Amino acid sequence: MAPPTSQKRRIPPTDDFEHSDVSDDDFEVGLLDGALSQNEDEDEDDEEYELDSSGEGSEEEDENEDEDEDEESNSDSESNDPPKVTAKLSELAITKPDKFESSRKIVLDSAGNQRYIYPEIDPVYDSDDTDAEETNTIGNIPLDFYDEYPHVGYDINGKKIMRPAKGQALDALLESIEVPRGWTGLTDRNTGTGLKLTDEELEMVRKIQMDENIEGYDPYQPTVEYFTSITELMPLSAAPEPKRRFIPSKHEAKRIMKIVAAIREGRIVPSKPKEAAKPQFYDIWADELPPRPDHIMNIPAPRLPPPTHDESYNPPKEYLPTDQERTNWEELDPEERKKDYLPRTHSALRLVPGYDTFVKERFERCLDLYLAPRVRRNKLNIDPESLLPKLPSPQDLRPFPTTTATVYRGHVGRVRTLSCDPSGVWLATGGDDGTVRVWEILTGREVWKLQAGEGGEAVHAVKWRPGRDAAILAVATGDDVHLVIPPIFDPETEAASKAILAAGWGYAEIVKKDPLKKEPPAKWTKPEPHQQELGTAVIVSVKHTIKHITWHRRGDYFATVSPEGQNRAVAIHQLSKHASQSPFRKARGIVQRVEFHPFRPHLFVATQRYIRIYDLAKQELAKTLLPGSRWISSFDIHPGGDNLLVGAYDKRLLWHDLDLSTKPYKTMRYHSKAVRGVKYHPGGLPLFCSASDDGSIQVFHGKVYSDLMENALIVPLKVLRGHRVEKSLGVLDVEWHGRECWLFSAGADGTARMWN
Amino acid sequence: MASIPMDTDIPPLVQQLQVQVKFVTRHPDIAVPTAPILVPSNLKRYGLSQIINHLLDTATPVPFDFLTGGAFLRTSLDAHLQSNGLSAESVITLEYVRAVVPPKFQAAFQHDDWVSSVSTAVFDGDNTLTRILSGSYDGIARVWNLSGQVLAEAPGHNSAIKSVKWLDNGAQFVTSSMDRTLHLWSYSDDAIVPVAEFLGHKATVENIAVHSASHRILSASADSTVGLWSTQSSECPAAPTDILPPKPKKRKTTSSPAVVAATAAPRYGPLGLLSGHSSPVSAVTFDPKDPTVAYSVSWDHTIRTWDLPTQALVDTRTTQHPILSVCVLPGLSLLACGSSARHITLHDPRASASTVATSTLRGHTNAVVALCADGQSEWQMASAGHDGTVRVWDVRAAGSGSMFTIKREGGEVVTGREKVFDVEWSRIGIVSGGSDKRVQINETPRAGEESVVVEKL
Repeated sequence: MAPPTSQKRRIPPTDDFEHSDVSDDDFEVGLLDGALSQNEDEDEDDEEYELDSSGEGSEEEDENEDEDEDEESNSDSESNDPPKVTAKLSELAITKPDKFESSRKIVLDSAGNQRYIYPEIDPVYDSDDTDAEETNTIGNIPLDFYDEYPHVGYDINGKKIMRPAKGQALDALLESIEVPRGWTGLTDRNTGTGLKLTDEELEMVRKIQMDENIEGYDPYQPTVEYFTSITELMPLSAAPEPKRRFIPSKHEAKRIMKIVAAIREGRIVPSKPKEAAKPQFYDIWADELPPRPDHIMNIPAPRLPPPTHDESYNPPKEYLPTDQERTNWEELDPEERKKDYLPRTHSALRLVPGYDTFVKERFERCLDLYLAPRVRRNKLNIDPESLLPKLPSPQDLRPFPTTTATVYRGHVGRVRTLSCDPSGVWLATGGDDGTVRVWEILTGREVWKLQAGEGGEAVHAVKWRPGRDAAILAVATGDDVHLVIPPIFDPETEAASKAILAAGWGYAEIVKKDPLKKEPPAKWTKPEPHQQELGTAVIVSVKHTIKHITWHRRGDYFATVSPEGQNRAVAIHQLSKHASQSPFRKARGIVQRVEFHPFRPHLFVATQRYIRIYDLAKQELAKTLLPGSRWISSFDIHPGGDNLLVGAYDKRLLWHDLDLSTKPYKTMRYHSKAVRGVKYHPGGLPLFCSASDDGSIQVFHGKVYSDLMENALIVPLKVLRGHRVEKSLGVLDVEWHGRECWLFSAGADGTARMWN
Repeated sequence: MASIPMDTDIPPLVQQLQVQVKFVTRHPDIAVPTAPILVPSNLKRYGLSQIINHLLDTATPVPFDFLTGGAFLRTSLDAHLQSNGLSAESVITLEYVRAVVPPKFQAAFQHDDWVSSVSTAVFDGDNTLTRILSGSYDGIARVWNLSGQVLAEAPGHNSAIKSVKWLDNGAQFVTSSMDRTLHLWSYSDDAIVPVAEFLGHKATVENIAVHSASHRILSASADSTVGLWSTQSSECPAAPTDILPPKPKKRKTTSSPAVVAATAAPRYGPLGLLSGHSSPVSAVTFDPKDPTVAYSVSWDHTIRTWDLPTQALVDTRTTQHPILSVCVLPGLSLLACGSSARHITLHDPRASASTVATSTLRGHTNAVVALCADGQSEWQMASAGHDGTVRVWDVRAAGSGSMFTIKREGGEVVTGREKVFDVEWSRIGIVSGGSDKRVQINETPRAGEESVVVEKL
C-alpha cells in the first residue's frame, strides 16, 4: 500500500523518475480509478501514461504519493532496467504528437532493427458492466478462508490477488486516530483493504439517511397509467358475444360430475375434519406383524415385556445399582442373575455404546420360541364372588364372645393354663410362678391360692375333675400331679371329694403285695401335713415333667402327658384304685396331647405329626389321622365325638371330620404365629376358638349337623385381641365356660381374661 | 286451638315455621290443657320448658324435659321432625317431665377391700340418723354415717360378704357371704349384735332381698337355689345337721365395742330352698305389691316367679343371656333385668304377658350386676356395671340411652379397671360400692326440691 504514511520520508523529486512509475503503485491507483471512472480495462502501462497526461502538474499530492515509489524504483531501475532505455523513453516522451507514437515501444530485435511494439488497443466499452468491478472472483465465501495464504483471492484472469500489506500496530492506531476522509471502519471483502467511501457516496448515504431525494432520481415523474380510467363508450370489438358464453360448458360439467362421483364414492371427503395433530413419537411396534386370523394351530408368540425404567439409557438414580449390588451381580453365575443387564446411565443417547449381546439375546429368544411348548389355555369366565361359599352373617350367629369382661390379675409371669370348674362359678389358673389360683369368674376376685410348684416350678396344667358331686383340681407341676380340694366349697362337697381321693389308699396296698414284674409308671403318695392343710390330698409322681392332664368324663381316670417320657409319655391314672398304667410299650414319636373320647372308650394320642385313636376296649389302634402339619400343639374333640380340632405350631388350625377322611376337612391359616390352644364349646353352643402366639384368639362358628350327609359349617366370627405378646408368646391356653358363651384365656402377659 | 301470648323470653317468631304440639304429662300436679298449641318449630327443650312454665304460671321456673317417641327431645322440634320423617302439619305429642339434675359427687368412704354391697337406712327429716351399711370382701359389714365415720363393724363371716340389706328400717340387717351363710344382726346405738346365722346354702349367697313386714328374707345362691328365711326365731327351723358349720376364722378383735364373737348367734335353717334354676341364681327380689311373690334371675337365662307360701314355681321366662341383676319398677309392674351381655331388659312378669321383653336399655360396656329403682320416680332407675359406671335411666326414654353416667371418683388412682358391684338409690342419692374399695355417694337433687345437704358431724 502506498498510504500517506510515507510522507515523512521526503526525498526531493527528480524528473528522471517522473515517468518511470513502477507497477507497484499503479495497481492501487488503478483500483481507485476503476471504482469511479469505469475504465479499468486499461493496461498498467497505459494507465500510467494516462495519469501522466492528465495530472502532470496538477497536484502536489500526487507527487508526494509517488515519492517513495520513486525511491524504490530508483534502486530497482538501477539493477533491472538498462539506463539507456530509460533515456530513450525520456526522449520519446518529448515527441508525442501521435498517440500511437507516444505509446509505442521501440525494441531492438535480434537483427538490431527497431521494432515498434504498440500497446494493445483499448476498446473502451462504454457499457454498464457491473460485474467487471469485482476483481476478486472467489465468490461469496468468508474471507478468512484465505487467512493462511498470502493472497486473498483471484482476479478474473486467475491471478492471485495478494493480501495488501498490513500496517503495523502503530499505523493502525494512527489510522484510528486520524480518521481519513471516507473511512468507514469496514473491510472491503474483495480486496481486504479498508472500505472507503467517496464524497459522492457519502453524500448519497447522507441523503438516504435524511430521507432526501437522491440525485438522479426524479420523484415527480409523470404517471404512467397502465389502466385507463376513461370508460370507453364504444366496444373495441363489435363482434357479438359468442354462443358458447351462454351454453354451459360440457367439459366443466364432465369434470364436476367426476368430482361428484368421487364424493359419492367417498374418494373425496368434502370438509374432512382435521385430525388433531398427534404427538410425534417413535412407534416401537410399528413394524409388528398384524395378528393372524384366529386358528387353532396358531399360537402367537408371547410378547416381550415392554422396556422398563431401568432399561433406559439414562434411568432415574434409584434404578442405578449400588456398588454392592453391582458386585453381587457380577459374582452371580449368569444363569442365576435375575436380570441379564445392569442399569447404566449415559448423558446422551448418542453416547450409548452398541448392544453387544443383541445377537445372543435374539438367539435365546428364538430358542425359547422354538423349544418352549405353547398351549392354548381357556380362560374361565366365572364370577369370583360366586366361588365364595355362602356364609351366614356373624350377626345372625350370636351369641359369641366379643369383648373382655373380666381380667384376672395376680399371677407373676405367664399364666400357663386354666380350667373352669363344673359348676361354672370358679376359674382355676396355673402359671410360671408355681401358683394355682382360683378366681370368682364374674368379679375376677382371687379366692384361693396354692403354691403348688415347689422351688419355683411352673404349673403346666390344671384341670377340674368333671362331675358336680366333688370338687377336685388336678394340678401338674414338675413331675407331680397334685390332686387338690380347694377349701372354697361346701363341707358336703369337700367331704365327698376327700372320700373319692381317699378310697384308693387301701387298694394300692393290696396291689403292692402282688408280685408285679414291672414298676408302675407313677407313685401315689400322701402329701406332707402342711400341704394337706392347704388342700392337697394326693400327689401322683411320674418320672418326667407333666405338660398336660385330661380327665375321663366319669372322673375316675385321668391321663397325663410328659412328652419327654418316651414310651412312658402317656400315663393313665385311676382315682378309685390309686393305680397308674402306661398304655404304650413303644414310643411312636413325641406325644403332645391325649384326650378321651366324649363317650366312646377311645383314647386320642397326638404326636408331633399324627393323631392316633386307640380303642381302649379292644386294645388296638383304631385310626390314624394325618393333619399334615409339622408340629401339633393341641387338639380338642367335638362333644359330638365325630369332629376334631387340631392346632399346630405352624400357624394352622385344622378341622378333622372322622367320618370323612384321615386328612383334614378344613385347614384354616388365619393366625400369624403358632396356634397354642384350640377348644370346642362343651356346652352345646356351636362355637370353637383358637389361641395363638400372635396374642389373638379367634372365635369361629362351627356347627356340626346330625345329618351325616351335611358337612360342618364353619364361619369365622371374631378376633379377640387384648393379651400382650411377651417374648413372642401370646395366648397360651383357652377354655370355654361350661354353658355360657364365655371364653377364658391365659396369656403370657400374666393375666387371664374372660371374654363375653 | 289456643295461641300463646308471646312473652319476651320466647324468641320472636319472624317467618318461623310453627308446629302443633300437644303437651301431656303423667303428673297431675303439673298438668296443662291438652289442646294442641302452635309453637315455633325451632324451639328446643329450654323454649318448650318456658312455655310449660308460662302455662302453669309457676312462681319460679321449673325445668322440664320432653319425651317423644320413646326418647328425650334433645334437638329442636324441626330437627326432630326431620330426623323422624314427620310432616310439619302433624300434631306432635310431647310428654313433659320434671327435668332431672345430674347427680353430683358427694362423698366416698374408703374400705380395706372391695365393697360388694351397700344399703342405706334413711330417716325422714334427719340426715344425722342416716346409716349406710356396706359389705366388703374382707368379710366385714360396716355401718357408716354420712360423714364417713365407721360407727360399727360386724365381723362374722369367714369369707367375703356378697350382699347386705337393712331390715326394719335400720334396726336389723342381713348379710350374705361367700361362706354360704346369711347372718342377721341387730343394730342399735352403734352396737351390732348377731341375732341369727342361716345355714342351708351350698354355695355363695350372691344376693338377698328382705321384706320387713312379713319377716321374710330371700337369698339367691350360686348353688342354683333360692332360699327363703324368716327373721323370727319362732318360725325358723333348726339348722340342718349335715351341714357342718365352717370354722370361724380367728380375727383380731378391734377396739370397737360392737365387735362380738359371731359364734354366739343361734343357727337356723331355711323355711325352704326353692329349686328350679339350673345355674347359679344371681339375684332375687320381692314383688313390692305382694310379698308372697318373689322373682329370681339366674345365669341359666331365666326369670322365675315364685309363690312363697307354697314355695311353688309359678312362671319361667327365658331370655337370651345370663341375667345378673333384677329390680322391680313398682309403678310400672315391670322387672328390669341386667344381663351379662351389657344391657338391661324390661320384662312384664305377669303370666298373661305375651312379649318376653318390652324394651332394652343399652349403654353399659360390661355386665350389669346391680339395679335399683328410684323410690321417687317410677320411671327412673340406676344400674351398676362391671364397666365401672353407675348409669341412671329413664325407662320412658329407652332410645336415649342412659340419662347420666356416674364414674368412680375420689380415689387416688382411677385406673379404669374398677367394677361397681352394687348400687342403691335412696333419698340421700345414689350409693354405690365397687372394686375401688369405696362407697360412693352421688347426690341426686330433684328439680324444684331442696337438695339434700349432708351435715358434717
